[in-house]
Amino acid sequence: MKKFKKLLIANRGEIAIRITRACREMGIQSVAVFSDADRDSLHVFLSDEAYNIGPAPSKESYLNITKIIEVAKKAGVDAIHPGYGFLSENPLFVKAVEAEGITFIGPTISNIESMGDKLAAKALMKKAQVPIVPGSDGPIETLEEAQKIINKIGLPVIIKASAGGGGKGMRVVRKEQELESAFRACRSEGTNYFGDGTVYIEKFVTDPKHIEIQIFGDKHGNVVHLFERECSVQRRHQKIIEESPSPSLTPEIRIKMGEAAIRAAKLINYVGAGTLEFIFDNQTKEFFFMEMNTRLQVEHPITELTTGVDLVREQLMVAMGHPLSITQDQVKQKGHAIEVRVCAEDPITFKPSPGQIRACSHPQGPFVRVDSYIYPGYEVPIYYDPMMAKIITWGENRSEAILRMERSLTEFILTGVKSNIALHKTILSHPQFLDGTYTTQFIERNFQVEEPEIFKIMDDKVFLIAAAITAYQDRKSKDVRQLNLVSHWKKIGRKLMMRI
Amino acid sequence: MYFESEMNGKKYHIDVVETKQHWKISIQEEGKDWEFIEINKTDYKKPEAYVSFLYEGSSYLVDVVGSDTDYTVFTRGSYRTLKIFNDEMLLHRSLKNSGSMSHERELKAGMPGKIIEIFVKPGDAIKHNKPILIMEAMKMENEMRAAADCVVKEVCVKQGDSVDSGSVLIRFE
Repeated sequence: MKKFKKLLIANRGEIAIRITRACREMGIQSVAVFSDADRDSLHVFLSDEAYNIGPAPSKESYLNITKIIEVAKKAGVDAIHPGYGFLSENPLFVKAVEAEGITFIGPTISNIESMGDKLAAKALMKKAQVPIVPGSDGPIETLEEAQKIINKIGLPVIIKASAGGGGKGMRVVRKEQELESAFRACRSEGTNYFGDGTVYIEKFVTDPKHIEIQIFGDKHGNVVHLFERECSVQRRHQKIIEESPSPSLTPEIRIKMGEAAIRAAKLINYVGAGTLEFIFDNQTKEFFFMEMNTRLQVEHPITELTTGVDLVREQLMVAMGHPLSITQDQVKQKGHAIEVRVCAEDPITFKPSPGQIRACSHPQGPFVRVDSYIYPGYEVPIYYDPMMAKIITWGENRSEAILRMERSLTEFILTGVKSNIALHKTILSHPQFLDGTYTTQFIERNFQVEEPEIFKIMDDKVFLIAAAITAYQDRKSKDVRQLNLVSHWKKIGRKLMMRI
Repeated sequence: MYFESEMNGKKYHIDVVETKQHWKISIQEEGKDWEFIEINKTDYKKPEAYVSFLYEGSSYLVDVVGSDTDYTVFTRGSYRTLKIFNDEMLLHRSLKNSGSMSHERELKAGMPGKIIEIFVKPGDAIKHNKPILIMEAMKMENEMRAAADCVVKEVCVKQGDSVDSGSVLIRFE
């Protein structure tokens, strides 16, 4: 059995820190990499070693395979953990890493390839008897073909770039007129972001929930699932709140989904941490395979808190060749966990709003976990994801977890950049969130209004008074400076005195 | 000290008076009544980088970032951006607005102040940008110039006069 001595983390921000923590706990030296924009990033400070890998844009640093491999060789690492995003699902990267005799922390190349192409993935799922959404059974090349499919399955549909992910490279078409521009946009986003312009069409399930199953495989053929996470609270197709268990699953459906996920994983001999994302129809309680992510997910902590399994540690153990530390019978869901993503963004328009953090004091206290990389004075760079921190709370039951989250958000002092903290608080008290019926349309429907509730939670006067007192002090200090200047008359007066 | 403010599309007049132990703040939302708020200085403290503000039984941690007329106030995970104009800025703004004088045929005082010197008399033809008078407001002398070519019809004030905001200073033909 291998034992890693040193591991390079090909990522930044909170996930790089999360992995550094696992390394420390396992006695593995950690190597951070950073771009020019990240010299002052916390992951650099917390790692054992740190190397610059190039200019700020991701393409020239965190996506620069050659440079990262070069640093890995120089530092003499045994393994590379890609985190999520960036190179985590790039088979070329895995090949380059393994060609140097370094272990890639993640699934095999064939695992990634089979799931990276969403169309091929759908075909495999069909074979594993996992329910899939009706749509084009292959890539769509022309507008005419797209039109044909639509005639067959009806609107609305969703066009997806086969290589896409993370909310990029997908467009919903509700009216026929929207088809042409959506088709073009997906093709060009696919080409620009993922280097592949292949697109396909699926029936768009209106008002679904997003529920995913965490699975884990080892090199000995064992596969377990670690239950579900519901991630339906989304804006711009990106998750902002996740919880486990899902308030919408019955024990029977939960077992059915878990078993389907295991069938899929076993069919492709899956190794490591993976997630099967499902579209869930809350009315019919049907679920359809959407895609499989062959990496650690942002929201993995809620699974860690409800199952007690350290997913990053498990990833490293599996990569070293150990069998899974748990059997399916031993995996138990205990209590309830919620995660919110705190992002530097305008809570109304959701536009990223990078800038310098002024005050920053994270929530603490019982059953609260914070995975964050910001600190007072830190400048959130414009080049990367606006997520600054994840707050994860655990409770004996759902309402306890929610109350704990509300408490934690209230405790979070964060000034200097716009953030979605107040939006999160408003969401947590929304009736549809509280009764668990919320769907992926929840934010779009309830929070894209002119003057949202989030701005009504406080007396306007608090803002006016504080600004007025500050303006008063600013103005006064300016006057004092002016008074301190010796006036010309006084100077002339002094000269006259001297003459006499 | 007098300010005007804009927040969420609403306009406010604000007056701030500092005493040894209190902040006395008057706020008037445009079209509504003045409200007077007295804040004990022990309720508005800055022990850290940010302010601890105890207001009407609630405890707020507040951070104000201000530059020029733009202020952003952060508290309780929320924030608002607002505009604050102090006397100096209001004066500059009113001087800029005097560009409307050719249209309105009169020059008005944008701020309360004192007339220091007048350069024109009735019947004078004044070229654009020529000085008309000097007015002192808020400890500053401000030269008011012609926004366009015009002819003076009437000078409504004399040197040394104290004038209120909005009072007519000069009428034009």
